[in-house]
Amino acid sequence: MVKSFYDMKAHRIAVTVAALVAAVFIFGGRIRAADVSFPIYFPDSKLIVKADVMNRTVYLPIKEIIGRMGLPYTDSVALETLTIRSGSNQLVVTKNSALISYNGQIILLPSPIVREDNRWLAPVEFLTTGLSRMTPIEFRYRSGTSRLFVGNIEAPELEMNAQTLGPITRVTLRSAIPINVGVKREDPTKAILSLNVSPLDPARERIDHRDRLLHSVVFDDSDGDSKIVLDITREVSDLRITPADNNRIFFVDLLRKGEPVTAAPATEAPATTAAKPDSVAPDRRVRVVVIDPGHGGMDSGAKTSAGIEKDLTLALARRLRTVLQMRLGTTVLLTRDADIALDNEARSAVANNNQANLFISLHIGYSGNKMESTSSIFIMKEGFGETVSQTSAGNQLFLPWYLGYRTHRQGSAAAATMLQEELIKQISGWKFAIRTAPLAVLGSATMPSLLFEIGNLNNNVNAQTLADNGFQARLVNTMVDAIQRFSESPQAAAN
Amino acid sequence: MPRHIKIGLIAMGIGLAVAMGFFVNIVGRVQSMMKNDREIEENPFKAPQPLYAPTDPPVAVKLFFPAASGEPLLTAEDEKIFKSGELANRAKQILQKLQEGPHSESMFPSLPKDTKVQDLFISEQGIAFINFSNTVALNHPGGVLNELATVYSIVDSLTYNLPEIKEVKILIGGVEKETLAGHCLLLLPLSMDLSLTNVVPREEKTASLR
Repeated sequence: MVKSFYDMKAHRIAVTVAALVAAVFIFGGRIRAADVSFPIYFPDSKLIVKADVMNRTVYLPIKEIIGRMGLPYTDSVALETLTIRSGSNQLVVTKNSALISYNGQIILLPSPIVREDNRWLAPVEFLTTGLSRMTPIEFRYRSGTSRLFVGNIEAPELEMNAQTLGPITRVTLRSAIPINVGVKREDPTKAILSLNVSPLDPARERIDHRDRLLHSVVFDDSDGDSKIVLDITREVSDLRITPADNNRIFFVDLLRKGEPVTAAPATEAPATTAAKPDSVAPDRRVRVVVIDPGHGGMDSGAKTSAGIEKDLTLALARRLRTVLQMRLGTTVLLTRDADIALDNEARSAVANNNQANLFISLHIGYSGNKMESTSSIFIMKEGFGETVSQTSAGNQLFLPWYLGYRTHRQGSAAAATMLQEELIKQISGWKFAIRTAPLAVLGSATMPSLLFEIGNLNNNVNAQTLADNGFQARLVNTMVDAIQRFSESPQAAAN
Repeated sequence: MPRHIKIGLIAMGIGLAVAMGFFVNIVGRVQSMMKNDREIEENPFKAPQPLYAPTDPPVAVKLFFPAASGEPLLTAEDEKIFKSGELANRAKQILQKLQEGPHSESMFPSLPKDTKVQDLFISEQGIAFINFSNTVALNHPGGVLNELATVYSIVDSLTYNLPEIKEVKILIGGVEKETLAGHCLLLLPLSMDLSLTNVVPREEKTASLR
């Protein structure tokens, strides 16, 4: 009795497992996705066909394509063959066979040709390796994509990229030719960027990004018009498009709801509305200042027993924000208001996205030389990267983004000079030099921008002074004096 | 349970396991992991090549190190290298001298400790590509000016002494990095900047002598 029970159970398990395995082999072999629209771009027109995806292979309807190309064919139901003719050449395909015959010569396709409901379906290779022998027309297809180019049609390359830059997420589009991009938010979780050029040849069709703002970026031209579908989250409050390099590059920034660092509109009053500006300056051109406390998070910057750079820069930045808001009524944003790590691009992105009129990156110096005590005001090195943009702009597809500094280098130099003058006047016993350097955080800032490196943390006297409250207040007030001067000068950009 | 069914089930189980293994490409993953490990290891079979021949004549060079006075940022120290036939070997000798640090008390070393030059080659356009070990970034103490001194100590020492080298591109750990230690952009090759030093450019010097 017991024995027969076990037998039964074993049989049942065996049969179930066998059935499952069989199911995987039988049905798994022909996983069929829904029909997809597949545009075929001819030099003078485009044809949108319904493609079938079977076993992850794209199958195209042959008769529609050869009909468009004007080639005569005979569809023999009895022989289950399709014969295509062009002059004296003849191409024969057979149902359920991966072998096709061209003038008697056999060509092997990677997967068999299918005939279904009076439609002949063939893998793309049928066109690229079979039909292209018959006609002088070239078919270009990149595997994994869902479009085909016929003949000498030129499709400009399109590159898409998505990046989390601290509080924002940036989608970068790079096109080989100038294009126009329009944005439309269809619903809270979907935004569509429509591109006015078609066809385009995207290097990647889909980017799965998955951060708090963006899930995926998908290029879609299934209806023959190029567009990019952004799968975004409900947290996205705004999308901003910034064109660059004569409309060849577009930065699409996704901004988050209720994020104080970026969501504060440029014209909004500062948080501390109770404090009134101490003077009325109608000509004041600096309305938004972005302050960047250097380093943060795992990157602590210079570190000695006297202090840690990332903490000192944050303390100074907060002080500077308060004094700027109180004295000048400026909108002040910090790139970080906590101990978090940010990369250089994210820092300048905060300034760019908020139309800042001035960008100041704060750092504390460190030198192996304990006697060294000079503070430096850095601006971007003049002409940095110019040779690259001049000599290779023609044959290089993309201009480097870190050349953004060039738009306001004169403004940066003016701001640096004023800051140096005020500091020398008011902070006695310290040395302040203006220097130029190729600095990552300044390269892509498109407004007057400077990096202020204060003192030397390895110099004991410097380090103690820097930690002193009175000194910090004096330093910050002097900086605000300089910013006020700059704000009233013609060099401040009124953007 | 009859024996043949047991055997059948075991065989099926093994078959499934093998199939799953293929599905997740276990062998490929293990191989790629092992390959990565091997690449990180230094090649023990690569014998160090001499940078110069005993017959090569010595030649004077100026090496740029951070100055104790702080102004200018870099000062030159006179040194000698051997004029080997290959340009890359002369460049390597200069970098070796930079690693050894200055002899003068009034100067500071410019390269972080344990910095190694993994490789160096010079392109036809005169761009010297130097691949430093990761230590050049990891052991860098920080500071914008300090980082600038490190970068231009390398760039100026090479371009000033070897005019064939027009620009210097610094790679770290075999790859292109945005910055050396967080500040200085390395995405483009850098050219000589003597404004940071106490040395006049060669052309100006010859012009003033005439």
